[in-house]
Parts: sequence; C-alpha cells; structure tokens
Amino acid sequence: MDAEAQTRFESWDNNKLAMTLFLLSEGTFFVFLIIAYVYYHSLSNTGVEAAKVLDPLKTGIYTIFLLSSSFTVWQSEKSLRRGKQRAFQTWLLVTIVLGAIFLFGQGSEYLHLYGENVTISRNIFGTSFFTLTGFHGLHVLLGLISLAVIFVLALTGEFAEKHSSAVEAIALYWHFVDWVWVVIFSVIYLWTLF
Amino acid sequence: MSDIPFPGAGEALPLTGPQEKSAGLLGWVSSVDHKKIGIMYLMAGLVFFGVGGIEALLMRIQLAVPMNSFLSPQTFDQIFTMHGTTMIFLVAMPVLTGLANYLVPLMIGASDVAFPRLNALGLWLLISGGLLLYFSFVAGGAPAAGWFNYAPLSEKAYSTTNGVDYYSLGLLITGIGSVTAGINLIVTIIKYRAPGLSIRRLPLFIWMVLITQFLIILALPALNASLVMLLIDRRLNAHFFEAVSGGSALLWQHYFWAFGHPEVYIVILPAFGIISEVIPVFSRKPIYGYEYVAGSTVAIGVLSFLVWAHHMFAVGLGHSIDSMFAISSLLIAVPTGVKIFNWIATMWNGSIRFKTPMLFATAFLVVFTIGGLSGVSLAIFPIDWQVTDTYYLVAHLHYVLFGGTIFGVFAGLYYWFPKMSGRMLSERLGKWHFWTTLIGFNMTFFVMHFLGLMGMPRRVYTYPNLPGWGAMNMISTIGAVIMGLSSLIFIWNVVVSNHSGELAGDNPWEAWSLEWATTSPPPEHNFDRIPPIRSRRPLWDLAHPENPDWKNGR
Amino acid sequence: MYGNSVFSPASPQAQAITHLSLVVGIVMLAILVLITFLVLYAVVRFRHRPGAPEPRQVFGNSRLEKTWTIGALVIVTFLFALTIRTMHHSDRTPSPGEKPNLIVIAHQWWWEVRYPQSGVVTANEIHIPVDKAWLVQLETADVIHDWWVPDLGRKIDAIPGHPNHFWLQADKPGTYSGSCAEYCGAGHAWMRIRVIAQPEAEFEAWEQRQLAIPAQPAAGDAQQGRELFGKLTCINCHSVAGTPAKGDIGPDLTHVASRETLAAGRLKDTPENLGEWISNPQAYKPGAHMPNFNFTPTQVHNLVAYLETLK
Repeated sequence: MDAEAQTRFESWDNNKLAMTLFLLSEGTFFVFLIIAYVYYHSLSNTGVEAAKVLDPLKTGIYTIFLLSSSFTVWQSEKSLRRGKQRAFQTWLLVTIVLGAIFLFGQGSEYLHLYGENVTISRNIFGTSFFTLTGFHGLHVLLGLISLAVIFVLALTGEFAEKHSSAVEAIALYWHFVDWVWVVIFSVIYLWTLF
Repeated sequence: MSDIPFPGAGEALPLTGPQEKSAGLLGWVSSVDHKKIGIMYLMAGLVFFGVGGIEALLMRIQLAVPMNSFLSPQTFDQIFTMHGTTMIFLVAMPVLTGLANYLVPLMIGASDVAFPRLNALGLWLLISGGLLLYFSFVAGGAPAAGWFNYAPLSEKAYSTTNGVDYYSLGLLITGIGSVTAGINLIVTIIKYRAPGLSIRRLPLFIWMVLITQFLIILALPALNASLVMLLIDRRLNAHFFEAVSGGSALLWQHYFWAFGHPEVYIVILPAFGIISEVIPVFSRKPIYGYEYVAGSTVAIGVLSFLVWAHHMFAVGLGHSIDSMFAISSLLIAVPTGVKIFNWIATMWNGSIRFKTPMLFATAFLVVFTIGGLSGVSLAIFPIDWQVTDTYYLVAHLHYVLFGGTIFGVFAGLYYWFPKMSGRMLSERLGKWHFWTTLIGFNMTFFVMHFLGLMGMPRRVYTYPNLPGWGAMNMISTIGAVIMGLSSLIFIWNVVVSNHSGELAGDNPWEAWSLEWATTSPPPEHNFDRIPPIRSRRPLWDLAHPENPDWKNGR
Repeated sequence: MYGNSVFSPASPQAQAITHLSLVVGIVMLAILVLITFLVLYAVVRFRHRPGAPEPRQVFGNSRLEKTWTIGALVIVTFLFALTIRTMHHSDRTPSPGEKPNLIVIAHQWWWEVRYPQSGVVTANEIHIPVDKAWLVQLETADVIHDWWVPDLGRKIDAIPGHPNHFWLQADKPGTYSGSCAEYCGAGHAWMRIRVIAQPEAEFEAWEQRQLAIPAQPAAGDAQQGRELFGKLTCINCHSVAGTPAKGDIGPDLTHVASRETLAAGRLKDTPENLGEWISNPQAYKPGAHMPNFNFTPTQVHNLVAYLETLK
C-alpha cells in the first residue's frame, strides 16, 4: 500500500525539482512587484503617464523576439535529446541572440524614456515601471549568462550524453523569464490601450 | 516496499574530492557536510543569541526605573531595532535551519542533502548578511526604525543614517540564503528518503520542516520585494512608500506582514516538530494522533498566508477587512490547539522520564499556551485596538517566540546534543538551566501583560512615573538578569560537556527514529546500514519484535 | 483601577471593549487552567516508576480528535460573535455626511489640535465637553503615529495619505492621559496626550479664552521677551495669534501658559520648567526638532516672562 503512495514529485529529477521550487519563489517575488504596479495604477493613476510615454507596438515587437526564444530553446532541448549536437548548439545560440535583441530593445526604450525625463525618481509611475521591468531585465540577463555558459560547455563536449538535467533546468528558467514577461507586458503596456 | 526510487549516481552534484577526517578551522570552514554546516548554523545562532541578549539586557537596565538616563533614545532605538532583527533573522532562523540541516538527512536515512555546496552557500550568506547588518553600528549607526521598519519613518528623510540600508542589504543576503536552504531541504526530503520511508511515515520533525520550507520559499519573496523597493526609494530617490509623491506607506505594511506573518510560523513549526519528537520518546509512547498533528500543520501553513492584516488592526482598514482577518486569525488557533491536546494525550498514561529535554518540552506546553491564548485575544480586534503596540503585545510575542521557539530549541538541543557530539549534556547543569530560564522568563514577561493593559506603549526608551509602572518594570528587569545568568549556565554546560561529558552511545534516549541508528557522532556518510523501515518507528520495531508498529497497522 | 488603563473605562466605547476583555479574559483563563491542570496532572500521575514496563502503545482516537476540534471551533465562533458586537459598540462607522468636531494632526513629537467649528487651534492638550460623542479626524504631518487614550477607547494610527476617524467621548469630567502608540522616532516616548473633559459651560468658557488674542506686553521683561521671540527665530517654527509669528513646524503657543504640561507631557507647565525647556530642549526630549539655542540666562528670563503672558 505504501509503495504506491509515492508522490508524483519523487520521479522528478533533482535539478528540475530545485529549479521549479526556485521559480515558484521568484514568481512570488514578481507577483509582489506586479501588485505594486497595479496598486499604484489605481491609487495614483499611473496609467495616464504610461499611455503617454510607452509604445506597446515597439515593445510588442521585441516581445515577439523574446517569446520566440522560448520556442528555440525548446527546439534546442529536443535536439539534445535526439543526440543532434550541432542542432542543439545552433538552437541554443539563436536563443541567446533573440534574448539579447530583447534586452537591447529594453535598453533603447530606457534610454528614450530617460531622454523624456521619465526616470525612477520622477514620480510613482517611473518608480514602479522601472523597478518591475528592471528586475525582469536583470533576470533575462542572468538567463542569457546561464545560456552562454551552457553554450560554451556544449562546445567543449560536456553534453555528449543525450540527457542533461542541467540544460533542462536552465531551459525551464528561460521559459519562466519569457512567460513572466507576458504578464508584465500585459499589465504595463497592453493596459495602456484601454 | 523498495519501489521508492533512489537518485541515480549522476544526479546530485558530486562532493568535492575524497572526504577525509578533517579537523581544524579550514576543514570546518570549507566543509560541505550537512552535519558540520548544521553545527556552524547553530554556533552562529548561539553567538547572535548572546548579542541579542546583551541588547535586551541593555534595554531592561534603561527601563528598570522611570525617567532613566542610562541610554539616550537614539541609542535605545537602535538597540531595540537590532534586538528584534537579530533574534528573528540571526538566531531563530539559523538555529532551526541548523537543526534541520543536521537532522533531515539522518532522520530520512540519507548521506547528505541534495545540494551540499548550495548548503554551504546558504550558511555563508547568513553569516555575511548578519555581519553586514552589524557593521552598521560602526558605519554611522545601526537601523533604528524597528525590526519591521515602517515607512515613512524608514525613508531617507526620517532615517538619515545608512542604518536602514544595512538592514535592507543584510536581510536581502540572509533571505537569499534562507530560500536556497529551503529549496535544498525540500528536494532532499522528497528525493532522498530511505526505502520504506514513505511520506506518511515521516518523523513529525521532518513534516514540520518540510512545510516550513514551503513557507520560506513563498514568504521571503515578499520581504525581498519590500526591501528592494525601500532601497530604491532611499538610494534612487524613488517614491514607493512616500505618500506625498503618490506612494503608499500602507503598502509597506501589507507587504512586510505578508512576509512577517508566515515568518512567525516559519520559526514555530520546527519547534512544534521538536516537541513532537521529544514528548513521545520521554513518555515512552508514540505521538498521539500523528495524522492530526501532521494535517493540522498543513492547515496552519495555508492559513498563515491569510492572517497578515491582524498586525494592522489599528491602521483603520475598515470593519469588513478587520472582520475577515479576525476570522482567519481565530481559525488558525484551532489547528494549534489540536496539537496541544495531542501532545498532552501523548503524555497521558505514559511513563514519563523528566530529563532536561522533557522539562523544556513540558514547560513549552504551558508557556506556549499562554502566548497562544494572548494571541487569540489579539485576534479579537476590539481588544487589539486597546493592547496592540503596547507591552501586552511584547508579552505575547515573547511568550510564543521564547516560550515557544526557544524552549523548543532548548528541548531539541539537549535531545540531539549527544548525537552531534557523542557526549551527554550534564543533567545537573541542565536542570539549573531549565529552572532559572523558566523563572527568569516568566518574571521578565508576565508582568508585561499588565503594563500594556495599564497604558504602557512599546518601543519607548523611558516612561513617566505612573503608579505601578516602575515596580513592574523593575520586576521585569530582574527577570531579564536571571535569564542572562541562565544562558551562561547553558553555555557552560555545552562547553564542559563537549569536553568531558558522559559518553552517549548510539541511542542514549532509547528513541525510535533513524538518526539513532548510527553512531554518535555519525560517520561522514551517516549510515553503515539502515534498518528495515516498515512503520513510523523503525527502531521501536527492531527493539520490540513481539509488538512492532506495523502489526498495529501503522 | 489605576486610571489610564483598559480597566478604567470612561466612555461607552471604552466600556464596550472593557466588557469584552473581561469575558474573553475569563474564557482564556479557563482554557489555561484546564491545560495547566492536565499537564501538571500528567507530570505527577504518569511519572516513570522504576522497573515499570513500557506503557501501552496507543496511537490516537478519531472521535476524540473530532470532539476537541469541534469544541475549539465552537469557542472561536462564539468569540467572533462577541467581536462583531463590540466592534459596533466601540467604533461606530460615521455616516458619509458627518463632519469632524476635532482635527488632530500628529507631528514628530507633538499633537496639533484644531476645532473646525469654533476655530480654536492648540497643541497637545485637548478639551472636550463631557458626554458628547465627538468625531475626530486624525492625520499626520510626517511619519505614522498612533492615538491612544486607554480610558476613552480604541487606538488608531495616523497614516500619511490616509486620514482616519474615531470617536472621542467622556462620561464624566476629568483628565485622561494617553500617548502615541506607534514608534515614530527618537521622541516617541514623550508624545503624550492629555484629554480634559469639562461640563458644557466650562468647556465653552475655555473655548472663548482660547479664541481671545493675548494682549501684547507694553513694557518690562515681557516686552523684551516679545522682541527676542521675533529676533531669535522662534517665529520661524511657532505661531502666536495676533502677532507676525505664523510658523507651523512647532506647536501653536498662543495660550501656552494656560496648559497643564509642556513638550507633549514631558514637563509640568510652570514658569521654571518653561525656562528649563527653552534653555535646553535636548536635555528633556533628546532628538526634539527644537535645537538648543544657547540663550543667555537673561534671554531665557525675558522669553519666559513673555510666554507667561500667553495665557
């Protein structure tokens, strides 16, 4: 009787289980920053300024780059599982490039906003906007660094076997970063359209 | 029966190099062995306990008589802030993490935690964060806005030294350490149990630790978010908590208590786990109502996220909101009460031996109940409207945190010290420690209930000479001095016994969980062989083949 | 009891809470006595006797578990019912149109008090007519403070950007003391509150005196003091009606000599203490925003002479 009472999680790999728990925690952190943004939207009408200075279309395009990188990292994992080292590495590189383009887009948006005197200290919109998108950008950067480390290790033949829980865990992180962005993009940018 | 999968050889990160018997400072400092790391967590907690205790004594000296001038308000305010911050983040959490670290692999029949190097990282993050926090004393001034650091007092305009920044950074660092430890312990408990040790057979200490780790990984993010928002306000001139600029002082309170309330359950649940191990062993009976003790813990875990605004009843959130949080706060008393009844029922018809662990565990039952009952009175918010932010609240929090957590910790330390060191702590000194603690503690804190009811607010560096205030404060101070002496007795006991205490053997208490199925102290790899696990008490089954638990359907 | 406590209620609001506290106190005490008795009984009765075998291994009893769980639920339900009842009696929600009779603005570390109907402005000492339920609006000029007068009712926070309301009422004439109850910085311990409830006629007389503008002293030390008051920057922080002094950083001093205490309860309001205070505020209330001006004894003497005319 007890033999069957294993939990589902016992069949999960250590690294993926750890990464999932970590993402649960980081997700909660983002939830709090998102709630703050929404709260100030209501309390201090930050939506007005958001509508004025943000460009959902432009950021939307960069968003597409980021979300595509979710697809490419998935392809990368699939290739590794099938033993196709070349494809694995190539898809990985594409993922990094797509992520970097997104960060570049974020950076150029920040520069533009600073040019318009929209800063973190100017008002509560600036404060909540830059904090939320900034922490997301930081997580993207850390993700890119991790993917780059994986890529370099891949070049040295580290992932010759077809299965690597480290790669899967990092990929999981990357998916998380992408999908948190979907929420953030909706709350900050899409909301300005209403 | 052996279908529970063991992690494969390539799964966990390998330990660095062959583990030889390394003594010496370098061996300890570079260790990734959960036992050494656990002991270092305990030592760090003990050192900070001394520091926090000195802070308490300084405050009690200042408050012993009305209109005293031993400490200026500016100094007093830094000390009460550091006392609370230290005791919660640098004592309670590390000590419980240390016990969990030491015991989890041993109690589940594993050779270490899932990620030994991550484990070491957590320890050193704790120590670094603590040192950074204390560095504030010599870098312009310690934080002085209270351990929960309300805005806008904590903003740059009103807290002009860098103290609050040290507070924020220090706690961000320790908070990251806590989350890594939480992840590590959850993976270990889920994946590394010995064959036969199903979730339903987990020792209750492990259950409590498991649920606590979930609370940690979900509650610390609220604190981390608050601290980064505060740092951004202070250092980048932002406006999160500044009402004049469209920010909200209230948001800090909601966010902090969204962390702060689960936090107090984080520090009490493992203590409940310790009590759940100690009382059965010393009563010579299994825990009464295992399923109810475990199940009520899950209920407490969930409810702990739904009660936070009972810290904000005086804020004026409105009757509807106050009522909702009164309901959840009254409800959470029920599973806690259920545990108290089960612990008493365990003692009932037992054959109780009052060694020091059991002295502390028994006293815990009454002392924690006092704290729990004052907590229930606070959930009844019209009463809270009178007594919150007064010495009544200081009494409540110390009865649950000292009477609960610390008494539980002492029970656990006396219980598991033999396993860790191979030697028994002195029973004679233990009894002295126990009685001086019990008397000193109650003297210090019981009168505070009355002081609060008589109008004394908290966090005041002095007070006017109102009738009764001076006398009660003096009693409290004398009690605090006794507590200080009791701590010295404990430290002396640890030092002397570690050096020349009576040899303990594998299982000096005739206990029943797996950590007692190996030597004291255990070898590096923990177990040479693991006994068959067919129930919650494998060693009882071995010792009583005529009446094993699994024959009684357990 | 001692006065200034939860058990000496002097208003219907405080009475409701005191009553609740007694009932809850009895229930809590009964539970504590039960638990303590069970524990002590177990300690004595089930102590290990040398030579005794291991006791019977008992694992639990569902029926018992359900019983005490339901028992606990019944108790908390009862307590919640009491909670709601007392909530209504001790803290009536004001109707949308009700205007405040009193506006209290908390500062680090004093209380600004305004009477919107009569126009009286004062500090730290609040007079009210006996037996009238006054609606008070509570605000803050800086950090979070908290209003608490235990004899008269609940405490409530003063939060920036979030004005609160509470009822202030006293059944009988008297002086009711309280304090700030939310840590607000170095002067928190000396941010005391003094509520003086008076019969209607006396209260109105007090209001009239507060509205009167004190005559300017024409000669002597008091006149010297008045000039110093202007020259030595007192007017930058303080206001005195009928004079150019219109500072709003520190308490209004128009009738400072008529109050019972100084510095929000730190000192009795006597000429000598007034002198002590202005000579060195930091000695009495470290951290107070009023600095030590290093006045000479003569300056102090003259300033006090002037301030004493502000009755």
